[in-house]
Amino acid sequence: MPSVLNVDTLVAANGTDPVTLTKQSAAKAWWSLNGTGTIAGRGSFNVSSYDDVGTGVYDANYTNAMADGNYSFQGTTGVNSNTAYVFAYHSSSVPSTTDVRFGCDIYSNITLQDQSYVFGTIHGDLA
Amino acid sequence: MASILKVDELRGIVSAGDITVTSEGGAATQSLQQGLAKMWFQINQSSFSVLDSINVSSASDDGTGVFTVTRTNNMNNSNYGVATSSMGDRVGLLGSDGNNHTTSQNNFTLNDSRTAAFADWDRNGAILTGDLA
Repeated sequence: MPSVLNVDTLVAANGTDPVTLTKQSAAKAWWSLNGTGTIAGRGSFNVSSYDDVGTGVYDANYTNAMADGNYSFQGTTGVNSNTAYVFAYHSSSVPSTTDVRFGCDIYSNITLQDQSYVFGTIHGDLA
Repeated sequence: MASILKVDELRGIVSAGDITVTSEGGAATQSLQQGLAKMWFQINQSSFSVLDSINVSSASDDGTGVFTVTRTNNMNNSNYGVATSSMGDRVGLLGSDGNNHTTSQNNFTLNDSRTAAFADWDRNGAILTGDLA
């Protein structure tokens, strides 16, 4: 018979350190952003706000800070057309403990463009 | 000596779907469930086969460079996040098509990075984060 543990908070045995997820890690932030017009978040985790930096360039600001800027960022955007888009760290700002800057390009001519579906996921250590 | 709790299922008491964990640096606490991937897959679009996955019930080949993935367990809403990558004999790009971004399905499109045309690629991965229904 499967065992079920009901608990609201998990910490390490010393009462303060984070509990280890065996050979796994959880995302520390994620978001779905409408980056057109007045930008608006659809859903998110650990994101307090967004900045519309310019055409196709955005910042996501974290609620709880990361431990350093060495975290992993995966992003996606896309539309159903014969045009490829790149979604990446934006070089005008390095990832910091409090935010990350990212951009959407039309791949064929490397032109920044606002997108309606802009997603991001952060993995790494929280402060 | 590290303590290990062996259990098959974890549930919150106040809310069955909400368990809090402490951050690595100890400065914050966050939801465990919100950080867990709710679906992931690796799909070979060329031979069209799902190589491995979680929470994927089926996938359909909708034509060159386009496929649809259907979930076993639906998302709670369509406000979830998606992260993708693709690898072929050129750099592939994989997007989550906003035209079919629902609680139960996603369309994905793959483009040749040099021509921007739709193309099939061998290795295509995605991760969904958000709320399950």
